[in-house]
Amino acid sequence: MLLFVHITCVLLSYAAFLLAFYSGLLFLLQERQLKHKRMGVLFHRLPALDTLDRVNVRAIGWGFALLSVGILVGAIIGRRATGQWWNNDPKVYGTVMLWSVYLLLWLLRVRSALRGRKVAVLSVLGFGLVLVIWLGVNHALLLGTKAL
Amino acid sequence: MDILVVGVNYRTAPIELRERVAFRAEHLAQAYAELQQDTGLPEALILSTCNRVEVYAGAPASGDVASRLVSFLRSHGAFLEGEGQDSFYAYEEAQAVRHLFRVASGLDSMVLGEAEILHQVKQAYERAKGHGATGKVLNALFQKALNAGKAVRTHTAIGRGGMSVGTVAIELAQKIFGELRPYTVLLLGAGKVSEMTLKRLIARGASRVRIANRSAERADLLATRYGGERVALDALEDQLVEADIVIASCSVERPLLTGERIQRLMPRRHHRPLCLIDLGVPRNIESSVGQAENIYLFDIDDLQDLVAHHHGQRQQAAGEAQRIIDSKVRHFLAWRQQERGAFIPSASVLAGAR
Repeated sequence: MLLFVHITCVLLSYAAFLLAFYSGLLFLLQERQLKHKRMGVLFHRLPALDTLDRVNVRAIGWGFALLSVGILVGAIIGRRATGQWWNNDPKVYGTVMLWSVYLLLWLLRVRSALRGRKVAVLSVLGFGLVLVIWLGVNHALLLGTKAL
Repeated sequence: MDILVVGVNYRTAPIELRERVAFRAEHLAQAYAELQQDTGLPEALILSTCNRVEVYAGAPASGDVASRLVSFLRSHGAFLEGEGQDSFYAYEEAQAVRHLFRVASGLDSMVLGEAEILHQVKQAYERAKGHGATGKVLNALFQKALNAGKAVRTHTAIGRGGMSVGTVAIELAQKIFGELRPYTVLLLGAGKVSEMTLKRLIARGASRVRIANRSAERADLLATRYGGERVALDALEDQLVEADIVIASCSVERPLLTGERIQRLMPRRHHRPLCLIDLGVPRNIESSVGQAENIYLFDIDDLQDLVAHHHGQRQQAAGEAQRIIDSKVRHFLAWRQQERGAFIPSASVLAGAR
């Protein structure tokens, strides 16, 4: 049951970060149209900057909250299995790094220290980190076990 | 002869003639009755708008239907002998189909691509149907015409607005803020174009309006007219912190807003996006301001370029629209051909009937 909650929360948080990535990307495209004073097909098809920004902030907030719950439940599972709160697993390090990055991004945005383009760029880059951790670490682990 | 259209439009007849021959909605029942009496047409439809009055006929009729329709319209408009002699046009068959499809798509309109005509065609069709004036031929024709009009609107840029500096400015603001209601509009200077732009912003939902102007009188006038608030030009910085959309049109020697000044203000604004529309010549806002983050600056040249660009796009869209229409017309005519062929029972139908 705990494992199910853990996996669901983490996957949902990744989905939220994907949404943040996507809205960030569209924001960058629409912003470019506006800054370059173009009213082409992209300009008409893409939503307003404000709409994309709202989706982006919420996605980051939800993603962060879900990831927090996911990590907490994961730690409980780890404690039950090994008696320790912390495992020396590259995936755990990666996930905590991811958590810190999105916490920072969320705080900066909510406190309006960063806004617009920069937040969009960071949400796009942040999802790169999600991919590295999710795919890369799984892959590396797989290779590692094979090597053993 | 199956399909025919006779009429006048803004190109062939001045308003003085068009208004006489126009049909009002409440007189349509009578008009259809007279039309039936005068011409004996089994299928007819009247399309009457401020830019055109046309009668469509669908009938395997005999004799010169076109001249009978012209005299029907002439007597309806109480035309004198020789009056509006060259105003009437008539198209038959493929040409008539093509004409209607172009009309429904807004290609034949005074304002190229306007959307109202599609609605008017639909209304005219529904009314004619309501009066029992249409039949198989015109029903199919008008359904296909409405369909063609919709296809043109969906697949080409013909209906896109933004034909003036003001409407372009609003489209830009809407792509920054989306819904305009919660945002504050600040007018710096209260010229004619600024007022027009403000009026359009309000029509699109903007509700918080501040007006700063040298002449307090004019500012007050606009404030009462548009439900806004007059603010002092001296308190510009505070106003810029609160505003989201600024329309500037002051006559100034040096720019009111410099890059440096706006950089200083952005933290106070919590870096909220700011849309600056500079209608002034000389410019009220330094062009370097537009490079700052979260600031979107458009000066009068940018806006005029966009208007010109739009105009070019519409012309191009008209070409695309014509291609869509041509293919829809071909389809319709092919269908008509088949329908006519179907009157002769084919061997398989006869075999089935046995």
